[in-house]
Amino acid sequence: MKQIWSIAATTLGEAIRRRVLLVILLVGVVFIAIAPGLGVLSARSETTVLRSMLLGIIQMTSAVIAVVLTVYMIPNEIERRTIYTILSKPVQRWQFLLGKYFGAVLSLAVMMALMTGVLCIAYWIQQGYNAQGLQDLLKAPVMFFVQMCLLAAIGLFFSTFVSPLVNFFLSGGLYLLGSTFSLLFQDMLANPNAPGVAKMIATVVNVIVPNFAYYNIQNPIINPQVVIQDEFQNYVKIMAYGVAYIGALLVAGILIFDRREV
Amino acid sequence: MAAAIETKSLTKTYKLRNGKVNVVDKLDLYVEEGEIFGFLGPNGAGKTTTIKMLLGIIYPTSGEAKVLGKEAGDINTHRIISYLPEKPYYYEYMTGMEILKFYGSLFGINDPAKFQSLLERVNLAGDAGKPISAYSKGMQQRIGLAQSLLNDPRLLFLDEPTGGLDPIAHIEIRDLILQFREEGKTVFISSHALSDVERICDRVAIINKGVIARQGKLDELLRGGRIEVIADQVPADFPAKLKDLRVTSSYNNARLILDIDEEEDVNGVLDSLRSAKAHIVSVIPRRKKLEDLFLETVKNVSEKRTTTMSGAAQ
Ligand SMILES: Nc1ncnc2c1ncn2[C@@H]1O[C@H](COP(=O)(O)OP(=O)(O)OP(=O)(O)O)[C@@H](O)[C@H]1O
Ligand SMILES: [Mg+2]
Repeated sequence: MKQIWSIAATTLGEAIRRRVLLVILLVGVVFIAIAPGLGVLSARSETTVLRSMLLGIIQMTSAVIAVVLTVYMIPNEIERRTIYTILSKPVQRWQFLLGKYFGAVLSLAVMMALMTGVLCIAYWIQQGYNAQGLQDLLKAPVMFFVQMCLLAAIGLFFSTFVSPLVNFFLSGGLYLLGSTFSLLFQDMLANPNAPGVAKMIATVVNVIVPNFAYYNIQNPIINPQVVIQDEFQNYVKIMAYGVAYIGALLVAGILIFDRREV
Repeated sequence: MAAAIETKSLTKTYKLRNGKVNVVDKLDLYVEEGEIFGFLGPNGAGKTTTIKMLLGIIYPTSGEAKVLGKEAGDINTHRIISYLPEKPYYYEYMTGMEILKFYGSLFGINDPAKFQSLLERVNLAGDAGKPISAYSKGMQQRIGLAQSLLNDPRLLFLDEPTGGLDPIAHIEIRDLILQFREEGKTVFISSHALSDVERICDRVAIINKGVIARQGKLDELLRGGRIEVIADQVPADFPAKLKDLRVTSSYNNARLILDIDEEEDVNGVLDSLRSAKAHIVSVIPRRKKLEDLFLETVKNVSEKRTTTMSGAAQ
């Protein structure tokens, strides 16, 4: 346990010094900070648009960070040979991989917290202090965080056996697919003219590809009149879904990494 | 004495585009506890690959490897061994002290006094607060050694511990390794620094193209070198009689100095010197240099290889 924590802490220490990540983060923060300024020009009714835009920036920035952070995780350790010294200590490979994963999660937490902090300040300046509004606003970043943890698990899983570049497209592609596929899928099922084979393939894809769309909860915030029934229960459900998916990916990653030559 | 390292037919095969290569080929190594063992061989011989297999970082294609009585890679064995990789890299943002803290934590060691004394031992106490990225090669190698001593290991794997270091650093590291022996540690060193190895190792193995060409006590391997014979009052026509033997001679003022390559030639030479009424001053066996042994061994194997290869081609 101590080993996992040490490796996670070291991974965080490295991540917050990675220039690429810092640049991405900075771009995100700058956008969040200036977006309300642009909003001043527009009508009051458009604040919902602004909110959705701000959340979109956080989500996009976080997704890029999650992918860039994880695709290099294992290949870099091997290339720089830092992994050899670690594996020659009483550290099992699964501990190493979990340490790396938790390090990624910690890094995401820190970076997303920073962006969310800036978001809150921007919101405060725009709307004045509004506890209820802030609370509603914060639901989205929390869900995004779960989403990014899932994305990081995908990136780390692939990084145990593919190169960073390939992984970038694989993880990024899965993220886009997982964010949109369930909607397309529902349309397809509803369409009586869709061929059976396509439906079957789509069903398989729908099961395999994690449903990232679950976590895109900007819409209920933008349209507060749409009330989700048992909102809390829904959150618990999609968090459990995410944790289960992450668990499966980590186990698969460990099985591959255990056999891999480093 | 128990075996610290024992391998049986240890083999590592890599698949390349044009077929397979046995990078390590049926290796039988034996290292006793308490000895300093030199693992020598030209570039690409398979030294690092062997060490990685002994640490469980890569897996053998076939054969066995035991380290301190347990299967290589055993996690409990890792508590009592350590490894200094060749050209080691560390997380560059860390300082020397942080490196020790990090690796210490992997053993569950959190003892600032111990870290401090290790830094002093490798002469880095003054640089403990500098980031590794500001360390010179020699300093990085020394922090690597400090890191490898955290768990007070019984067995150390040092892969080219003096690679890229200046002569002073060579001596420092050599002295450290000699201290390890006094502490009863077993040290397995892969190195190209033959004069260092000659000075500190008890036994060596020379590996070439994945195959062990020589293995044994250094004293025994280096014995049976040239034998020097010095004689006075040697007739001027005597040196000419030696031309069938593998000797180098120098004749001056009736004094003859002979360097005889083969031990079995010595008696014959002495007999003919006596019958020529020469006066034998000294017969001294000269130890081979490790460098000679290394070159001879590596060359021999390559020649054998080329002959078998060209033989197969015909
Ligand atoms: N992953 C790999 N795939 C294919 N070939 C490899 C791999 N790793 C090592 N080799 C090859 O194995 C051979 C032995 O490499 P190794 O690093 O063990 O040599 P070495 O004896 O340590 O050499 P050096 O003295 O240069 O460090 C080399 O020819 C190398 O190219
Ligand atoms: Mg090597």
